[in-house]
Amino acid sequence: MTDNELIAQIAQAVMDGEAGIAQDATRQALEAGIDPLRILNEGLMAGSDEVGKRFESGEYFLPELMLAGRALKAAMEILNPSLAGRIQSADSQGGMRVVIATIQTDIHDIGKNIVASMLTAAGYDVMDLGVDVPLKTILDKAEEVGAKVIALSALLTTSMPYMKDLVNLLEVRGLRQKYIVVVGGASVTEIWAREIGSDGTARNAAQAVTLVRNLLKAS
Amino acid sequence: MTDYLEILERSNTGEYITEENWDLEKVAATARRLVKKYALHWDRNQVVSDDPSLADAVYQAGYEMALELGVYCRSTERIIPLTQAEIDAGITNTPQTLVMGEGKDARTLYARKLGDERPPLFFGGPPGNPIPQHLLLPNVISYVQEPLIDLATCGTLTEVNGFAVRTGHPMEIVATRLESQIVHAALDKVGRPGMGVLGAQSSVSELGNLAATQPRYLRRCDSHLVPLLNELKIDNRNFSRVVNSLDYGMINASLACVIVGGLGGGAPGSAVVTVASFLVANVICRAGYHLLHPIHVRHVATSTRDVLWVTGIVGQAFASNAPSIIVADIYPKSGTGTIELLYETAANAIVNSVTASHLEGCGSADGALPNCSGLEARLMAEVALAAHRSKMTLSEANQWVLKLLPLYEHVFTLEEGNPGLPFDQVYDLSSIQPRDSWLKLYDQVKSELKTMGLPL
Repeated sequence: MTDNELIAQIAQAVMDGEAGIAQDATRQALEAGIDPLRILNEGLMAGSDEVGKRFESGEYFLPELMLAGRALKAAMEILNPSLAGRIQSADSQGGMRVVIATIQTDIHDIGKNIVASMLTAAGYDVMDLGVDVPLKTILDKAEEVGAKVIALSALLTTSMPYMKDLVNLLEVRGLRQKYIVVVGGASVTEIWAREIGSDGTARNAAQAVTLVRNLLKAS
Repeated sequence: MTDYLEILERSNTGEYITEENWDLEKVAATARRLVKKYALHWDRNQVVSDDPSLADAVYQAGYEMALELGVYCRSTERIIPLTQAEIDAGITNTPQTLVMGEGKDARTLYARKLGDERPPLFFGGPPGNPIPQHLLLPNVISYVQEPLIDLATCGTLTEVNGFAVRTGHPMEIVATRLESQIVHAALDKVGRPGMGVLGAQSSVSELGNLAATQPRYLRRCDSHLVPLLNELKIDNRNFSRVVNSLDYGMINASLACVIVGGLGGGAPGSAVVTVASFLVANVICRAGYHLLHPIHVRHVATSTRDVLWVTGIVGQAFASNAPSIIVADIYPKSGTGTIELLYETAANAIVNSVTASHLEGCGSADGALPNCSGLEARLMAEVALAAHRSKMTLSEANQWVLKLLPLYEHVFTLEEGNPGLPFDQVYDLSSIQPRDSWLKLYDQVKSELKTMGLPL
C-alpha cells in the first residue's frame, strides 16, 4: 500500500467509525515511516472534518459522530508517542485538554455528547464527565487533568444558574484566569453567557469547536 | 405496587453496562439493524405516510427493540429487562379512556383510531417554556380562556420574587407549588376550575414534583410528566415520581423526546425508538397516556419534515397495532408575532390530528423563550378540528403539509432562529387579548388556509 493509500485508509476508518482499522492503519503508517504529523493532519483530522461536515449537513447522525470519536481516540493512542514534542510547534490541538460536563441537576446529554464528539474529532483531548456533575467535581477534575477549557452544558433553564455558580467558584478560588469557560444549551444566549462571566457560547456543535479554537488562540 | 417494586429492584440487579455502550452498542446498533431488517424508509416528499404496511413494520421493529433491550437505569448503570408477558400486559392494560379534570370541566381522553369519528382533544399551554413570574398568570389565561382548549398545561417558572429557581434546590419546591397555584387561579378566573392539568412543569428533579402532589396543587384528576431519558433510559428521580403518584393516584404522562438524528439515526430508526419507548413506558412509567414529542437533532422543532414523518408514522403504528392514548406535542421553531409560527402550527396540527393523536401546544420558539401565546393554540385546535371535520385522509394531509412547508422551512436556516416577540408584546396584559398586529397575522393565515380549501 502506498503512503497515500494508507493515509486515505486512516481517514476512511475514522469516517466509518472503525476503531480497530484506524488503529491498525495508523500503526502500519508509522511502520512505513510516514511523518506522524501527516498521519494526524491528512489522515485522522481529515476524516474527522468530513464526519463533522456530514453531521452538519444531516447526512450523518449522532452514532456516526460518536463512533468516529472512538476511532480517533483509538488511533491517537498509537500515534501519541510519536507526536511527543511536535504538537505545539505544529499548532495542532493535540494535548489540549477540555473538561466537558452537563451541569449539576441537568440530565440531558445529547447536546453535550455532540459537542464532545466534535471537539474530539477536532483533535482536542476531551474528558467527558457525564451529566448532573457537581460543581466541585468539575473543578477538581479540571485541576487534576490540567485542563485548559471547561465546557458546560445545560438544557434546563433552572439548571443554568449553576453555570454562573461555577464561574463564581473559579473566581473565589482565584482560578478564573486559568481556564477558558464556555457554556451551551438550548436556552443559553450570548447575552446570558456574557452576563455570567463565561468566555462565550455557540449556537451549534460546529460553532462550539470554532469558539474553543479561537479562544485558545487568543489566550 | 408490589409488581412495580419488583421491576424497580431489577435496576439494582440487571446486567451492568456503561452508558456509552448502552447508547452505541445497544440502542444505535439495534436501531440500525431493525431499520435494515424491516426495510424501513421515508421520503421527504411523503411527510405523512399513507402506507399501512410501513406503519405496521415500524411497530413490529419497535416491539422487537423493547423486548430485546428493555430499559437502562442511569442511576445504577444497569439494564432493566422486560419480559414479553410484561410488554404485552402493558399493551393490554393501557387505558382506552381516561378522565382528566372534574365536574363540568372534565374531559375524557381516548385511544384514537385512524379516521376516528370523535374529535381530538387539546391541551393548551407552552409546556416548559420559561415564563417570568409576572407573566405566568396572564399567559396561562391566554390559553385556557380559549373555548376549544380542553386541558391545561403551562410554562416553567425560572424565578420567584426575584430569586432564581434552581433544579434540585428548595426553590424548585417553591416554584412548582407557585406554578400550580397560578394555574388554578387562571382556571378560576376563566370559570373552568375543574379543567384537568398536566402540571409541575417547573419541577425537573423529583423535588418539586413530590412537593406538589397534594390536592391543593396537583389533584388526582391531573397528570404529571414521567420522562424517559434519551434513549430508553430512566433514573431514580423518575422512578420516585412513579412510586409517589402510584400511591397518590394521579395520572402519569410518559414523555419520550426521541431525538431524530440522534441515537436512532434518521427518521425510520427514530420512529422505532419512539415505539419502543412507549411500549416500555407502559411498564416502567405506568403511563396513563403518552406524550409524543420527537425533536430534531439540530433544529429542535417538531415541524421539520423528518420529525413530522416520525410523529405521523408512530401515531398510525399505535392506532393500528396497540391503540393507546397519545398526545402529540407541537414545538414550532418560530415564536409569537411571526407568521411562520402559524404555518408551522397548522402543518403540525394537521399531521397530529389525522394520524390519531390528541394535541398539545404550542411550545413556540423551540420552547426556549417566553414567546408563546394562546392565539397559536387557538389556531392549532381550529386546524386540527377542520382536518377532522373534513375527514382528511393521510394522502390529503400529506398534500397539505407539502403546501405549508415552503411557507416556513426557511426558518431552519436562519442564523438567529425566528424567536419573534415575548408574550407581553403580542398580548394586551389588561384585557389578555392579542394585540392587533398579532391578531392580524392570525386572521391573514386563517384566511389563506380557507382559500386553500381548509374548512375553518
